[in-house]
Amino acid sequence: MDEEYDAIVLGTGLKECILSGMLSVSGKKVLHVDRNKYYGGESASICPLEELFTKFGAPAPDESYGRGRDWNVDLIPKFLMANGSLVKLLIHTGVTRYLEFKSVEGSYVYKGGKIAKVPVDQKEALASDLMGMFEKRRFRSFLIYVQDFLEEDPKTWKDFDARTQNMTALYEKFGLDKNTQDFTGHALALYRDDEYLNSPAIETIKRIKLYSDSLARYGKSPYLYPMYGLGELPQGFARLSAIYGGTYMLDKPIDEIVLGEGGKVVGVRSGTEIAKCKQVYCDPSYVSDRVKKSGKVIRCICLLDHPIANTKDALSTQIIIPQKQVGRNSDIYVSLVSYTHQVAAKGWFIAMVSTTVETETPEQEIKPGLDLLGPIRQKFVSVYDYYEPTDLGLESQIFISQSYDATTHFETTCLDVLDIFKRGTGEEFDFSKIKHELGDEEQ
Amino acid sequence: MASIRVPEQKVILCGEYGVGKSSLFRRFANNTFVTATDRKSTLGLDQFKKMYYAYGKNVKLQLWDTGGMERVASITSSYYKFAEAAILVFALDNPATFHILSQHLLDIVTYAENAKIFLCGNKSDLVSEGSHISDSDIEAFCEQCHNLISGTYKTSCKTGEGIEDMFTDIASQLIKSNQSRMDLQTMDEHGFKITENSEDPEENCLC
Repeated sequence: MDEEYDAIVLGTGLKECILSGMLSVSGKKVLHVDRNKYYGGESASICPLEELFTKFGAPAPDESYGRGRDWNVDLIPKFLMANGSLVKLLIHTGVTRYLEFKSVEGSYVYKGGKIAKVPVDQKEALASDLMGMFEKRRFRSFLIYVQDFLEEDPKTWKDFDARTQNMTALYEKFGLDKNTQDFTGHALALYRDDEYLNSPAIETIKRIKLYSDSLARYGKSPYLYPMYGLGELPQGFARLSAIYGGTYMLDKPIDEIVLGEGGKVVGVRSGTEIAKCKQVYCDPSYVSDRVKKSGKVIRCICLLDHPIANTKDALSTQIIIPQKQVGRNSDIYVSLVSYTHQVAAKGWFIAMVSTTVETETPEQEIKPGLDLLGPIRQKFVSVYDYYEPTDLGLESQIFISQSYDATTHFETTCLDVLDIFKRGTGEEFDFSKIKHELGDEEQ
Repeated sequence: MASIRVPEQKVILCGEYGVGKSSLFRRFANNTFVTATDRKSTLGLDQFKKMYYAYGKNVKLQLWDTGGMERVASITSSYYKFAEAAILVFALDNPATFHILSQHLLDIVTYAENAKIFLCGNKSDLVSEGSHISDSDIEAFCEQCHNLISGTYKTSCKTGEGIEDMFTDIASQLIKSNQSRMDLQTMDEHGFKITENSEDPEENCLC
């Protein structure tokens, strides 16, 4: 440990592992430390099952749960958008070769106490009970408009300036009713609340394009999920960092971030050892004095021995409960994965219900989500504080990631990572630095 | 998706730091050897595929190197996932690397349950008279492991001795034991790799 590094990364959560990988690939000498014995921090998948029960103080699981080692339970539920930034990062860094994925079987949206499939093609859209006859036509022309829209080609804008006019105006242009707006904004554009209505429409157009481009890649839904759980993602990037020279230390408590002149970081102390460095990259838990709480997220892990009703017995699915449907300000998300992803014993399902906390009784808030699940064999509830940095690192050279938010995919995660990388190195990440064709020798 | 592809079998290298895993890997990948531990030469390179043929079938061995993660931290559990075979490597001239093998064996059976396990004594060129690890030591170890070990080999990365023989033997053992399973291999049960979009997605209107 007593060496000098360009950067020391603290915590092996997904964001830190991506950063560590990008820094090593860029030729930086990296030391990557975690206080835990395992990789992944909050983005680890807990294995075996016994450990999950212990973590939440529950009595040990009985035999009906099968072998504990067959379980890998995520603490933070998320899916990958098939055409999203994390997939791009995985491909460009070559980390994709460490992982295998399955397409999530379906995406549902909650309307009037029932769930309806988010239509994936014309046939499903026509059969969908989400909209009436005439609304379907209007919705169709709206989608065609979005599809044909090109930011750089004003001819495709059709007398609507999406850069200045807001989304409400675009909905009005196509005469879409509140219900359609609700499902478009929340189940396709994946907004958590309704603030987007007053923002320039271009952002929403891009999000709907991401959704449909993702859908086009693997068919059934725009989402992907890795075999053996999300914990595989940080491990893949850690491996990338290691093969580009990064040094890993686990089970190493960090006692102090050592500052030098002008409050600039000069090293990291663990016990009596000090590792010198020019920069530190870390998650909020390592720098409680440089972050502020800006909200709370509730996540409830539910173990089920059956699929969710009305989802055609899907082995994986997502259900979005738009805020307005249940009188809230932010959406409730339900995600379901199962034994088919090697994250549960045969016959078992893991559902996760999550949302941004709005009241003093967060467990009450997720009830509409829990009610959709049917009998729940075991439930683990946790409320996480959401932290964001108060120090952007320009002087201290300490670069802090934000906590994982309640969104169901990794788009905001990647934005944060790319932003931190840019602040830390003064440049955008250059994907061409990776020689991932190496080792992929085809014969 | 078309599945007339040559089956790929993931083979991982396990063992203490410094026993020559990366040297084995380099021999496998481009048949070279470097004496000094020149980490630069493996930077960015950690898996390599090579075709083998036995029993009338082709198989592509995909060899994985640890990337040096075992130096201070532990190897990620994903390293072991999907492995069809694991090569337990120790240095014939260094008893400590032999005696700790049970530790690595435990990791393999925990994280890569279905992998066939092979034992490789490397640095055979360094073994002089009265050397440290004898054939009977190796035999005793295999017996203790209740026949978990599917094959034992002696190699020298420096001279290249025994290396091709080892990989050829591992390939044919994998073909033999996995024959029926490989025939059944479908995209559906195994998940898929994500790759760059080769052609533009066609009509992808949602409606």
